[in-house]
Amino acid sequence: MKKSSIIGIIVIAVAIAVIISTYSSSSTYGSFNDASKTTSSLQVVGHLVKDKELYYDAHKDANYFSFYMTDNKGQECKIVFTGTKPQDFERSEQIVLTGQMVGKEFHASKILMKCPSKYTQDKVEITETKAKTANI
Amino acid sequence: MDTAFKGEHLLPGQLGQFFVILAFGSALLSAISYFFATTNTNKLDKSWQRLGRIGFFVNSISTVSIAACLFYIIFNHLFEYHYAWAHSSRTLPVYYIISCFWEGQEGSFWLFAFWQAVLGNILIWKAKSWENPVMSVVGLAQTLIASMLLGVEVLGTRIGSSPFILLRQAIEGPIFSRPDYLTYIKDGNGLNPLLQNYWMVIHPPTLFLGFASMVVPFAYAIAGLWERKYKEWIQPALSYSLFGCMILGTGVIMGSFWAYESLNFGGFWAWDPVENASMLPWITLIGAVHVLVVYKNTGHSYFTATFLVLISFVLVLYASFLSRSGILGETSVHSFTDAGLKWHLVIDVLIFLGLAAALVIARWKELPITKKDEETYSREFWMFVGAIFLGLSCFHLVLVTSIPVWNWIFGTKLAPPTEPVKHYNVIQASFAVVITLLTGFTQFLKYKKTDTTRFFITTLVYLACSALIGGVVVYATGVYKLHFIFSLVTIGAIYTVMANAKVLADVFKGKIKLAGSAVAHIGFGLILIGAVIAAGTSSVVSQNNSGIGYGDEFAKTSNPKENIMLYKNQPIQMGGYTVTYVGDSLASPNHYFKVDYKKIDASGKITEEFMLKPNSQANNKMGLVSSPDTKHYLFHDLYTHVTMAPIKGDLDENADHTAEDDDKNYDPPVAHEVAVGDTIRFREGFMVLKSLNKESHVENIALKANDVAVGAAFEITSHGSAYKAEPIFMIKDGNAFDFAKKVDDAGLKLRFSKIIPEQNKVEIQVLQQPESKKPYIVMKAIDFPYINFFWSGTIIMVIGFLMSIFRRNKELARVEAPKPQAKPKLQKA
Repeated sequence: MKKSSIIGIIVIAVAIAVIISTYSSSSTYGSFNDASKTTSSLQVVGHLVKDKELYYDAHKDANYFSFYMTDNKGQECKIVFTGTKPQDFERSEQIVLTGQMVGKEFHASKILMKCPSKYTQDKVEITETKAKTANI
Repeated sequence: MDTAFKGEHLLPGQLGQFFVILAFGSALLSAISYFFATTNTNKLDKSWQRLGRIGFFVNSISTVSIAACLFYIIFNHLFEYHYAWAHSSRTLPVYYIISCFWEGQEGSFWLFAFWQAVLGNILIWKAKSWENPVMSVVGLAQTLIASMLLGVEVLGTRIGSSPFILLRQAIEGPIFSRPDYLTYIKDGNGLNPLLQNYWMVIHPPTLFLGFASMVVPFAYAIAGLWERKYKEWIQPALSYSLFGCMILGTGVIMGSFWAYESLNFGGFWAWDPVENASMLPWITLIGAVHVLVVYKNTGHSYFTATFLVLISFVLVLYASFLSRSGILGETSVHSFTDAGLKWHLVIDVLIFLGLAAALVIARWKELPITKKDEETYSREFWMFVGAIFLGLSCFHLVLVTSIPVWNWIFGTKLAPPTEPVKHYNVIQASFAVVITLLTGFTQFLKYKKTDTTRFFITTLVYLACSALIGGVVVYATGVYKLHFIFSLVTIGAIYTVMANAKVLADVFKGKIKLAGSAVAHIGFGLILIGAVIAAGTSSVVSQNNSGIGYGDEFAKTSNPKENIMLYKNQPIQMGGYTVTYVGDSLASPNHYFKVDYKKIDASGKITEEFMLKPNSQANNKMGLVSSPDTKHYLFHDLYTHVTMAPIKGDLDENADHTAEDDDKNYDPPVAHEVAVGDTIRFREGFMVLKSLNKESHVENIALKANDVAVGAAFEITSHGSAYKAEPIFMIKDGNAFDFAKKVDDAGLKLRFSKIIPEQNKVEIQVLQQPESKKPYIVMKAIDFPYINFFWSGTIIMVIGFLMSIFRRNKELARVEAPKPQAKPKLQKA
């Protein structure tokens, strides 16, 4: 057999291995309902419940932060995160959590939040400007 | 809407927009003219070429003029322009105005266009017979970049996004119907505080020069196919590829250094999709450089070389698509939003991919693809294998980073790996093992053919030595506790370093040509060693197991707690250090927290003491933004950053509180009756009444004959620090007053409330701040061992690239010499 064919075979084999390993380690975005059915960790996309308490008290425990989030199916759940409250958390528009259900709480090991960026922040700015106008 | 708006400066914007359109038009003209100059059969007719050059020069001038207009707008705070309003503010220091340029998408497109223009001018000057075909491609690339900046409506769709768009055009709002709306827009949004860093002034230009320089080898590869000059394009393409690798590599690592020094994700590489995207073209171009050398020396691997060069630039465009189209949305922490360019970027990628594919297919039958097998014991064969593995490693990165793209195309709902860092680390490390071993033993092979017995002996001896040294390193640093693959990478990287050190040693015996590659390889090996050890064995120093429980369930499952709480002036033991938060210093807009680190030996002597000043910015728009501070040692770094602090910054109203209000910040007062020399104990120390000072006076209050003012001088000791305070008791016009004294650093307030003459005592009220009112910070400290290998490896690698570029340029000069030999002898590379 020619060497180039051997290399070709190796390349294809490695490529397939990479695809399989990527596919097997890629996860799916789930809901809290999915999370309660499995013990493995998964990612949940949702929104912060802004009218419920964000609890973080550095004096009691600098590594405990809890809040409420609704997933994309509308289910609400209490989230506990080991760490400090991420900066500007109140303003987050969308949150992606990685973690698992423990009892009735979802324990997150990672929080990724999307804040209104400088582009979409435009709207906010205008209402502020309007408030100023009213003052004058 | 024909409102006449007051106070707008429309000229710089109109001028800028004119140059944007001129840049687009002239680039298009240049590309078309160069195309006809290439296809023109009459080689003496230079008119098309002249037109192409004029077009490109006009484009270059326009590109610079765009920047001048934009600079003028930002510098003069013309907030009627969206770009200035969105990315700058009046308080921004002048030297960061340059960073505003690349905070927005439009500015970074401009940067790309600028570098491409610079490179195009160099090519016009240097490329000689290659100018026409090469510049056709560069002109096309320049046209597409310029089109991103157009911001012109064609048939109802906006093409491109112009930096000169007005605020009132960019944003909807009732305020903009007022002619005097500008009087309400006092200031801009300001530059993201994280970008207000000197690394952010130089990192983007370097990175974009790297990206832009990939167009040159691409253009040469296309020109080679187009003109059917399958051999000649290699030499110039090789120099430019080396340049591209060097600059892009430097740019990527600069970004990683910036992240390490001023971002708070606690590391130098996070496998974030945007980081990956910038690395994709680098990997393929590194592969391309190796295969180009192979092809130049043996005539083998023509297709692989062309493919890797072509795909590198396509990946640059793909990276641009990934990071700018907003498609990464849920997977990246970098917040890039779609500026309406998604399809435009897709088209850009497809045009260049299509162009490359079409030419390769059209020329397929005549491509110099060899049927003969390569010699197994030749350097070229294994360089080729190495390039293939680099390609595979890139393939994996593309596959995982593009998960959101697959979702978009196929409508699936895949999520990236739940533990992306682990996933990338393990798979990429596996590729790294293969590549380091290849980079090692290939050095012992000769070009074309090698004596096999000798080869096996040297290879194995070196491998055994590396395994031995690697074993010690792996054991000493604790890498062996990780996934076994990381131990293998360490050994492989050491092997790379050793084998190339041997080559470098031979350089001194006269084989000077190989010096560049040997140095670059050594640098690469060191980068890997540094990365594996620093990332793999970094440890959180600020482990914290205090804190009240939130139920056993939480304690059991929670990760190690990595944040530690420091009250001001209360030392805490942390990983061998005694750490104290001693104070703050304000350099607006940054709030620096002074954290004192002490190492104390068994006898209580201080062996080492230093101060770190991590800072935070309480930004109006973005909340608390923190930057770390790092103590650099030769063999490890101590990294500290504040994750939480009760500062409000600009938002804080420092209004004067009334006395009662202020007392709310303290626990209820405790009264003590004391005489001179007595001691009062309190929660965090003690104080001694030193004397009663009858000649005290309070500023601005004149005392009359019957009035009395007495001061009680205290010496206070709290947590090993001494303070002084003298509260005053006063009788004026028959009324008693007391003037309390605060000792903020000790969280104390003292009131001299009564004199008891019969017992010769005085009453002192001590108010202590409860813990919750005391200043504190929550911080995280991480130790990164051997990270200096990573940085120094980078510098060494860049030096290696530079040496190689000089060498290849010398060869290029020889090839282009007026009387070339029939077959230039460039066998040994």
